[in-house]
Amino acid sequence: MTSLHLRNRPAEAGALTQQQRRRIRQRALLLLKYFVLTGLALLFLFPIAWSFLNSLKTPAESLAVPPTYLPTAIVFDNYAQLEAFGNYGIIGHVENSTIVALLTVVGSLVLSTLGGYGFARFNFPGKNLLFIMVLSTMMIPFQSILIPLFVMLVRFELNDTLIGLALVYITFQLPFGIFLMRNSFLAVPKEIEEAALLDGCSSLSLLYRMMLRLVLPGIVTVAIFAFINSWNEFLAALIFMSDQDKFTLPVFLTLVRSGIYGTVDWGALQAGVIVAIFPCLLVFLLLQRYYINGLIGGAVNN
Amino acid sequence: MTPRRIIFAVMIMALCMGALPLSAQDDGVSMTMWVRNIGDQVQELVDAWNDRGGSQIQLTVIPPNEFVTKMGAAIAAGESPDIASIDLIYAPAFAAAGQLLDITDWVDALPYADDLLPAHSELGTYEGRKYAVPFLIEGSFIIYNKGLFEAAGLDPETPPTTWDEMLEAARAITAIDDETYGYYFAGACAGCNAFTYLPFIWASGGDVLSDDYNAATIASDPIVREALEYYRTMWEEGLIPESASIDDGSSFVSAFGTGTIGMAGTGAFGINTYRNDHPDLELGAFHIPGKEGGASSFGGGDVIAIGSGTQHPQEAWAFLEWMMSDETQLEHYAARNRTTVRVSMLENEYSQDDPLVLTAASALAVGKSPYSLVYNDLFNDPNGPWLEMIQIAILDGDIEGALQLGQDRFTQIIEG
Amino acid sequence: MTFGLGSLSWEQRRKLTGLLFVLPTVLFVTVFFIIPLAMTVFMSFHDWPLIGEQSWIGTTNYTELANDRQFLKSLDFTFRYTLFVTPPIFILGFILASLVRHQIRFIGIYRTIFFLPVVIGLGVSSLIWVWMLDQRVGIFNKMLLDLDLIAKPQLFLAKPATAMNVIILSVVWKTVGFTMILLLAGLQSIPDELYESADVDGAGYFRKLFYITLPLMRRTIALALILSVIGSVLAFDQFYIITRGGPRNSTISIVYWIFNNSFTYWKMGYGSAMSIVLLGILVALSSIQYYVLRERV
Repeated sequence: MTSLHLRNRPAEAGALTQQQRRRIRQRALLLLKYFVLTGLALLFLFPIAWSFLNSLKTPAESLAVPPTYLPTAIVFDNYAQLEAFGNYGIIGHVENSTIVALLTVVGSLVLSTLGGYGFARFNFPGKNLLFIMVLSTMMIPFQSILIPLFVMLVRFELNDTLIGLALVYITFQLPFGIFLMRNSFLAVPKEIEEAALLDGCSSLSLLYRMMLRLVLPGIVTVAIFAFINSWNEFLAALIFMSDQDKFTLPVFLTLVRSGIYGTVDWGALQAGVIVAIFPCLLVFLLLQRYYINGLIGGAVNN
Repeated sequence: MTPRRIIFAVMIMALCMGALPLSAQDDGVSMTMWVRNIGDQVQELVDAWNDRGGSQIQLTVIPPNEFVTKMGAAIAAGESPDIASIDLIYAPAFAAAGQLLDITDWVDALPYADDLLPAHSELGTYEGRKYAVPFLIEGSFIIYNKGLFEAAGLDPETPPTTWDEMLEAARAITAIDDETYGYYFAGACAGCNAFTYLPFIWASGGDVLSDDYNAATIASDPIVREALEYYRTMWEEGLIPESASIDDGSSFVSAFGTGTIGMAGTGAFGINTYRNDHPDLELGAFHIPGKEGGASSFGGGDVIAIGSGTQHPQEAWAFLEWMMSDETQLEHYAARNRTTVRVSMLENEYSQDDPLVLTAASALAVGKSPYSLVYNDLFNDPNGPWLEMIQIAILDGDIEGALQLGQDRFTQIIEG
Repeated sequence: MTFGLGSLSWEQRRKLTGLLFVLPTVLFVTVFFIIPLAMTVFMSFHDWPLIGEQSWIGTTNYTELANDRQFLKSLDFTFRYTLFVTPPIFILGFILASLVRHQIRFIGIYRTIFFLPVVIGLGVSSLIWVWMLDQRVGIFNKMLLDLDLIAKPQLFLAKPATAMNVIILSVVWKTVGFTMILLLAGLQSIPDELYESADVDGAGYFRKLFYITLPLMRRTIALALILSVIGSVLAFDQFYIITRGGPRNSTISIVYWIFNNSFTYWKMGYGSAMSIVLLGILVALSSIQYYVLRERV
């Protein structure tokens, strides 16, 4: 239609050539695109922003029916309220989550680096079988083996300990970590390594002194995944932890939601939500390149 | 053995012996105690105990929905608490699993052993041995708003005594204005409805379980159907606020406190809450009625037991004994409007002038507590058949389907 | 070499070193994965209470499954949920991926924002949603009331259908960024020349979509769909937190029912039998994934 129109009045006004028109049209489309994108972005940010705003209301205002849109005053009382919750307060549970997350990060890093290097650079009997065994962990999600894991942890007296929880988390980070680290090591030219070996380096010190620097992106990716996944995990933490003092953040927050004395403290709950999402957002925003690459690499390539 | 080893061994023995008398006294002993969240009554009691010096108790509050799960997991892990305040209906299951300390001899030696509330004591007994004593006493009854009764033209001093009278009162109160409702129940809370709804059936001579608790009588007992139809009528006529349908128990107490509800089921715990938080409400109470009269109540609350894995049985028992003593019952129970664990003290100097407390106490006289190892799975589980049956019948109106489902799933669970 | 195995040849030592490097991983996988997996099978043939004695009962747990109406209901619900939640995630994910595909100014910020909810835990995001959906303090009712779209606060979680819908909304928000990133990677791997020559031929948007984009992205699309399906089959957090399985036990997923049986009713043997069924479903899904992704390599 448009082009027909144009042809009928080719010289009229003489101002707009076909190319100019196309450029205007493209501009308009681009503007529309930004408009749509911005609208969607606002929708996506809304729940987080709304939760954050509410965590800054006074406790009374957070419970107002109907709710107010914006806080009338900005205070941190909801956060203080959360610290007074339970025996242990929010800080204690942040500590729990941090300990579990750090143990998981360190554990997955050590195991994935050693294992990835082993699978990438060495030949030994049964290598392929073992590699498939490790990767098959990915096929079978942990939800289906939680019951025996619980029974085992109880038997080892690791149930209800942060270490026990971290051990389980490490295991389920392993297939991804091993896969990624193996690929990272495979990408390092063999010559670098052989030269060092000839210089008399042991395998372990070679790995430590040279290779780690070369596979740093892989290491960062494994660390971010281990951190975010263990920090956020809910079901296993819910089952394995029975002592309230040892609850990780997500489980602790469901306690706040169920309301200890008959009413739910929504303000404190949103303060807790903000505390729980802040580290993940921070880690992601700072290191998102590694995270996204890992996600695509891990998902697409196997 | 080398001389050095002998010296070492002697030193160890000396240390142990030195430690023994220490642990027999209660100085320096720290015990853990678990409760489900039931308000600050337990906290006050434990604070009072800790303030006496001697052994200290640290409280851990477990949300009621998770109590069985957490307690079971802790027991399986060998980490059960020294003392546990257990919803009385779970006591047989925990005792059967061998997780509670047998305290028969200690209990029998009490001068007031026969004075402990019988329903609770019975739930604390398993195969003739005693494992728990009464602790928190909650008999269900109906609380009503006298102001609304008056506004509806009803006599606030003669509360209903039959289903029909209650229904009429509920209609009248709902008719006052758009904001008022005659009745309230927590439509998504399984335990709340065991506590306040089952007695409607019992008071009319019916039951959902056979006398030996080994079979479901939901489909065969006509009273069950009538009770479902009764609530359904109230729901259909809009005598109950719509928000009740999703109340998972978090508004079970607070809904009535808003002053717009005429009548609601509650327990002794409600009395203080309403008086403290809503002093302007004029409160009355009556027993949960049967269809044509009569009354019943759910004898609920908690029993208290000692974990079989405890290192401090003596100290734990000392706390239990102190809790049941005349002085504590008077100062920390009766004086605070709470129902005592002792029958002879149900009526006392504090309760005499308080009709609410008297109703709560006398409810126990008509009270009943089901004794079942699978009580949780039947009644209290938020995903259990009791709640599902109530929701399907009352909210959806499918009474036939509800009875069928209830009968089937009850039977399945009982037969395990 | 630090191992002091001087007697071994270099080749042999390399082999041993390699084994030692992977040993910790193999140990972990064996202890926390292979053994539990075998135990799940073993336990499923037992009456295995959380506390107390276990006893062998053969296939009774499995035959009981067929009569467990809640289990059948949960199976049905989980499949329906998966069926309803997958298309919106995929379609919105595809739209988002198309929108952020080209490297225009600020596009990185938009990509980041759409992806942001993915890094929040599902448990925590459910806690935001249950609060936004509340009939008293929730923002949704407040806005709908202020816009005069409703006359009185809605109980979103009171009816099975609306409960399912709002949960789907929350899950789409939480996970669509993941699908978007996968599809974006797929879109970007299609050479621009293909589109340019299609433009020359005068092909419209939908022609290009159906003749270039979709066929070339088959693998990526299959992957995105299957990952999303597997995630939905394993759903638990959102139902445990937002609906607690209600109303009328209509939102109890398979994992939720396993959780209840194992850790609330203390029937771990029965829970294991259900886990085996779940496992079968997942292995089947993973096999489809393997098959589809392999086909066109």
